[in-house]
Amino acid sequence: MTLASFSAASRVTAISRLTALRVPPTVAFAFAVIAIVIAWSLAPGLFTNHSPVVGVTAEKLLSPSAAHWFGTDHLGRDLYTRVVYGTASSVTSALIAVVIAAVAGGLIGLLAGFLGGWVDIVLARLVDVLLAIPNFLLAVIVVTAIGFDTTNAAIATGVSAVAVFARVMRSEVIKTRQAIFVEAAFLMGGSRWHILLRHVLPNASRSVLPLAVLQFGLSILVIASLAFLGYGDPPPASDWGLLISIGKDYLKWPWLVYAPAFVTIATVLSVNRISRWLRKTD
Amino acid sequence: MAAQDRLTANTLTRAEPNAPVPLRPIPLLRVDGLSVSYGSHEVVTNVGFELGRGESLALIGESGSGKSTIARAVLRLLPSNGRATGRVVFDGQEVLGISERGFRPLRGRAIGFVPQDPANSLNPVRTIGAQAQEAAALLDEPDKRIRKQLVLETFAEVGLDNPRRVYDSYPHQLSGGMLQRVLIGLAILPRPALLVADEPTSALDVTIQKRILDLLTRLQHDLKISLLLITHDLAIAAERANALVVLKDGVIQEAGRTASVFSSPASAYARKLRADVPALNPDRYAALRDIGSRFLKTAAGTAPKIAVSAVTKTFNVDGKSLVAVDDLSFTVPAGTTHALVGESGSGKTTAVRLLLGLEQPDSGTISVAGEQIAGRSPGELRSAWRHLQLVYQNPFTSLDPTWTIERLVREPLDRFGIGTPKERDERVRKALADVGLGEHLLSRKPAALSGGQRQRVAIARSLVLKPDVIVLDEPTSALDVSVQAGIVEVLLSLQANLGLTYVFVSHDLALVRQLAHTVSVMHRGCIVEHGEVAEIFDNPQQPYTKALLASIPSGVADAAQAPHARPLLMAAAE
Amino acid sequence: MTNAYLSYAAKRLAQAFVVVLLAYVFTFMVVSILPGDPITNVLRDPQNGFTEDEIRQIIAAQGLDQPIPVQLWTSLSHFVAGDFGRSMRSNRPVATLIAEVLPSTLILASAAFAIALLLAVTIGYGTQFLPKRFGQGLLRGFPSLFLSVPNFVIGLVLIHLFGFQLGLFRVIAPDSFWATFFAAVALGVPVSARIAEVLIANLDKESEQEYASVARGRGLTRMRLFARHLLKPSSLPVITVTALAIGELLGGSLITETVFGRTGIGSLVQRSVSTQDLPVLQAVVSLAAVVFVLVNLIADLVYPLLDPRVKLIGGPRARPTTADDGAVATSVAATS
Repeated sequence: MTLASFSAASRVTAISRLTALRVPPTVAFAFAVIAIVIAWSLAPGLFTNHSPVVGVTAEKLLSPSAAHWFGTDHLGRDLYTRVVYGTASSVTSALIAVVIAAVAGGLIGLLAGFLGGWVDIVLARLVDVLLAIPNFLLAVIVVTAIGFDTTNAAIATGVSAVAVFARVMRSEVIKTRQAIFVEAAFLMGGSRWHILLRHVLPNASRSVLPLAVLQFGLSILVIASLAFLGYGDPPPASDWGLLISIGKDYLKWPWLVYAPAFVTIATVLSVNRISRWLRKTD
Repeated sequence: MAAQDRLTANTLTRAEPNAPVPLRPIPLLRVDGLSVSYGSHEVVTNVGFELGRGESLALIGESGSGKSTIARAVLRLLPSNGRATGRVVFDGQEVLGISERGFRPLRGRAIGFVPQDPANSLNPVRTIGAQAQEAAALLDEPDKRIRKQLVLETFAEVGLDNPRRVYDSYPHQLSGGMLQRVLIGLAILPRPALLVADEPTSALDVTIQKRILDLLTRLQHDLKISLLLITHDLAIAAERANALVVLKDGVIQEAGRTASVFSSPASAYARKLRADVPALNPDRYAALRDIGSRFLKTAAGTAPKIAVSAVTKTFNVDGKSLVAVDDLSFTVPAGTTHALVGESGSGKTTAVRLLLGLEQPDSGTISVAGEQIAGRSPGELRSAWRHLQLVYQNPFTSLDPTWTIERLVREPLDRFGIGTPKERDERVRKALADVGLGEHLLSRKPAALSGGQRQRVAIARSLVLKPDVIVLDEPTSALDVSVQAGIVEVLLSLQANLGLTYVFVSHDLALVRQLAHTVSVMHRGCIVEHGEVAEIFDNPQQPYTKALLASIPSGVADAAQAPHARPLLMAAAE
Repeated sequence: MTNAYLSYAAKRLAQAFVVVLLAYVFTFMVVSILPGDPITNVLRDPQNGFTEDEIRQIIAAQGLDQPIPVQLWTSLSHFVAGDFGRSMRSNRPVATLIAEVLPSTLILASAAFAIALLLAVTIGYGTQFLPKRFGQGLLRGFPSLFLSVPNFVIGLVLIHLFGFQLGLFRVIAPDSFWATFFAAVALGVPVSARIAEVLIANLDKESEQEYASVARGRGLTRMRLFARHLLKPSSLPVITVTALAIGELLGGSLITETVFGRTGIGSLVQRSVSTQDLPVLQAVVSLAAVVFVLVNLIADLVYPLLDPRVKLIGGPRARPTTADDGAVATSVAATS
């Protein structure tokens, strides 16, 4: 969804964005980091010759070196390889979470903001309830109810973020609905649905894109936390959160924590930077 | 063109080349070769002028002319990405290059600042008194009670009725006019030598505008303060300043004594600016307007295009009922323009919304082109809107920013299902051509257009339905005068060619005089006076109408307030 | 104003009560309606060694044989009366279980809150005092960095550096001063980032306001401008964000307690999740909702007393920039 609305932006604005505003170096760097992460998740085999599952017992717990960039773990597996192979699951699950949150939250916000009246009151209470339960606790409860695995953790993370999207979408819709161009469209003979779909939705969702990008970063963190607590797929899966969780039992060999943590932080930081940039350029 | 104009200004400087130095008074403020840029974008280029003690000088220009930037550069209040080069000499001291610490003692104490928008110029969460104490701290007066007394005296001096109440108020509890008086009071309290006033009245109603300007002029003379006035309004500038500097795109177009620049402008730009000010050219569009006037004469006996009768509308605000429109009645013959004139709170906006059926009146009837408007649901009004369209005040908010111009203008045709797709294309192109826009704009989005172009798009969008009646809600008040002139011309020629009927809502009496046939003057929800434009303007009966007319800046300084005409030295940058 | 304020307060109180009840119902629905039947799964887990008879007894005692609406009604009415039921695992009253671990979590959360606030204020106001080129950019980067680090990583790094390398504390004594301190740091850092972000955004916004440059035109120094003009309006919205951040402290304690090996609400939840002890989870979630709603209620009641612009009417609320808008129906209008 993120990608779709991005490419839907007209060619003119895309070009003017690049030429007139110029991409700041930090943003360019952030895009580069994200490109690597995407490449890792699409074709992990291209980036490493080691196996993520089978280790060489003789080479266990080696420190980082030219042969093993991130060192090796307690079973002698190359940690860099484990991180690369864990990327797909970490990234996809965050994507699932964002799509669930944006679609469900967006719909709730759209209906509440546009229809108003009792629909708004009912939906606003629902959102209040979702907000009142601490985000992470809510994710934990949902994943407990539907079972422990990475996809379910993603769904739980998505559910816990619905309220954020609903709230932003609702306030954007209300703002847009009161915009003068909406009244003008009404005078031009536009029906309610025409105005909702053609005027209100496109304008209101402009601010949802940066939010979705931001939430993507947050979802990586939440899913990593769930994996850390053992609510995701069990080993030999190598989600980033799980890798850190395993590493915590071997703090004498700190790269087992620091390396996957570094990758996680770099990814989330890049995503946040891009989100901030999108918000500013809009 | 610019070079030639600078030559004019130069000749002025060199007029007395051999004058001995002591005879030439040292100006209070001298700006020399000032350029200001934001990032790599230069907004002010090589500007220079002089302002003598007790004199007043106006910087005139439209939006983007750099006039406010110059004021801020003099005050050293440019935003952090702004960079100024050149020389600003205040009272014999170069101040552009000195440190912030070195300049600060001048701020407030020697150079006072009156900002543009009084509503946002005081801290909303602190009382007026607390902020007044900051200005009072600049006086060498240790006793806080005496300082408060001085503040209260100054408030009385600037015409605030109840200084004590004002002192204890928060900004949101006062009106715009009162806030501007407060700000002027705070600026003059430390008795500065120079007062910089950045569009001090553009956010205020016309009658209040005049009172604030009178106040500034009086203070300037009583306290011997030099005034640097920034304004977009040539008539105001000519009325209030000894000297004028006309700017365009950050470059001086013309500079000199008010009398010469105003009455016989040398540069093409200043001439055009003067021609575009409605107050100075009441009969500019007489030929076009007369076509409608003929309809007015033949209208007797025929049914009017618009008939509003005894309409009243009350709103409930905070549990109190507020009469927005009280017993409103007027008729508009086909092919003519009726103006609704009033200040903010006069009920003119409510009148527009009632006329369109966007609000329902409590009582009374409204009919437009034979269709009843009052009492019908939005669904039923759809047919009326085919003949009745609205052009909004602000073209920056009335066009959906995500749509292209073509889609925007085409929208009413699509919604009402008029013609085949091919016919719609043609009508869109025709409507754009009628308002003077080229086809190359079709695929652009509103953000890529200027304000004037956007308002033309909005007019084209109303026009494309071929309506009988167009309601124009202050269609030019968000635009520069030169852009306004273009829009007015388009509106009048459309009326002449298509026989359109207009309801023109405005606060600008001078503009109304240029284009309307009949007028209703509104005050607090009621029509206080109505009739043909010439009649009302030449022979107003009601005191309110007289006050409104008196507040139109004429470009001629009031004899009573006329500054003692002294020779003034002008210099342009070189 | 007083009358308007009282009726506003009454309305907000009623809303808060409804939200808490609905939060309870919501949690109940999630655990009883969603696919997967944790209850029978747990009871029939051979490891637990319940006989069929015992299972039947437990089901009857917990009322699990009743239709779901009846179960909901029974449990909701007990909840309102202050009865949280009994744990399915240990059969002890849930209230007792929670009371045992609550003090430890309260200490951790309040310490973390204090640290978060201190850090946020230091960063936020610090940006106003450091020179633009040096230091300010660094300080501005902190919130973004803090928000990009999983809080268990912060915990692990602190344990590694201060526990293992410097030997300030030992993980086996989680209640010692330094262990508690670093746990609070790990919990507080992400929360501080949220507060600091809003603070910086508001300081930037306020200092670009026209009134700020007019005040500078009156000869104010940067310091005075900050202290007299910018401090209050930019700090007011922090009340709202801070109230929202409380929820994060509760959620975050789950992880921090695990990382630092502390007993507390978080570890209770952890245990109850792994044994799918629903009455305990239900009670903890409802309590968290109560705390969150109460704190936000207080924030909403205090706000109008501090901001003179705020005028209470009855529509959706409008406030200076905060991370949140419109969720809670306060109504505030800036009149000018």
